[in-house]
Amino acid sequence: MKFFLNPSEFNRISNLLVKPLFILSFLTLTLGLIFALYLSPDDYQQGSTVRIMYVHVPSAWLALLTFMIMTIYSIIGLTFKTPFSFIVNSAIAPIGATFTFICLITGSLWGKPMWGTWWVWDARLTSVAVLFILYILIIFFKKSFHNIEVGEKITAIFIILGSINLPIIKFSVDWWNTLHQPASISKLSSPSIHLSMMIPLIIMTLAFTMIGLLIGIIRIKSEIAQRKQRI
Amino acid sequence: MKLFNSILAVIYREFKLTFRNSYDILSILIFFILGILIFVFSIGPNKELLSQLSIGIVWTLLILATNLTFKKFYQEDLNDGNIYLLHISGISYEIIVIIKLFCLWIFFQLPFLIMIPVAFLLFGNNFENIYLVMEIFIISSLILTTLASISGAMNLLNNKNIALGSSIIMIFSIPIIIFSVSAINSSVELIQPQINILLGILFLFLAITPWISAFCIKIAISNK
Repeated sequence: MKFFLNPSEFNRISNLLVKPLFILSFLTLTLGLIFALYLSPDDYQQGSTVRIMYVHVPSAWLALLTFMIMTIYSIIGLTFKTPFSFIVNSAIAPIGATFTFICLITGSLWGKPMWGTWWVWDARLTSVAVLFILYILIIFFKKSFHNIEVGEKITAIFIILGSINLPIIKFSVDWWNTLHQPASISKLSSPSIHLSMMIPLIIMTLAFTMIGLLIGIIRIKSEIAQRKQRI
Repeated sequence: MKLFNSILAVIYREFKLTFRNSYDILSILIFFILGILIFVFSIGPNKELLSQLSIGIVWTLLILATNLTFKKFYQEDLNDGNIYLLHISGISYEIIVIIKLFCLWIFFQLPFLIMIPVAFLLFGNNFENIYLVMEIFIISSLILTTLASISGAMNLLNNKNIALGSSIIMIFSIPIIIFSVSAINSSVELIQPQINILLGILFLFLAITPWISAFCIKIAISNK
């Protein structure tokens, strides 16, 4: 439990974690790419473009997951006054922004052959674009205050306010009639995606999660080191 | 009773301070008219197109005019120390925030109620649904005032980044502009549900604004 809240404990355990995570992410990414690019079948309507899904869906999930982690850490940081949560916030915001950017780019690359347009003002697409702007604002927020503690606290409040967007993104395909399809994999019903496509998707999601965790741990470690240096 | 008297005194002080330089309010109204002119020049004098776009233009200018006022909320009071004086004389920050919301809504949002018929006249709209427009305007202007309060409290110690406060207001006003413009432009049976959604957003923000703003003011005072 201390691993999540205490910088020195985090440093100690993450030193053990970095190498296994690196090997695991390398292996899962290789396996996932082999599955996604060669072993999975073509879609009968979309042809080979369906393979964009194996990058698009994991990056979208991780974009949401990163914001959720930031929200939880902001709440913990503001209530229990733990400085480590603000370190995590400022370290992982660029990762979330990158995943959102990958999601938007691959989505528009997928939309051009399938829908005939790069971009539509659809509820799902617009809310993800708003998520991207939120990430950018969070990154800018920290830099615009002279006193770094004030910037951190106010960024945390902004993150909690911005987390209103997460349920909107999740349920936008159910609430409005959108061009974007509803979720294929959900907890309550059996998935509407065939097993031969679900296995590569799950492996790619694992690989993306591993890569995100690895970069996150490295960034948090460097942030802790920077702060130690400044003091 | 003592609390009530001091609240009235604070409201009286706000009114006095604002009416001493009332050209402030008038220049925001001029800003609104100028914005309409700029939109007309950029789109062209096509009457049909303008009356289609009119509600969107009015709401855009409303948000831009709100962006001008967010520094008015707490910045001066923090700089000359008045907000701390009010606090130690027995009024909590949350009540100060509520008083400020009420006063600044009257000063900087309610005057647009006069400007909406003028805008309708300029765009050549028909005056059939003007009461609906005014009703939705009152709800959404209240939400915009709460957003301006949050943004003003967050940017009290920010003197490096000018556009940040406006960006906060704009990013949270996206749902407001969506639902209010589509409530006015949609068919009769879809008006009431969208007004209900707007009211829901309003009560959410009225509930959370006092303590978010008060929290930010406390951070600003303890770090100034």
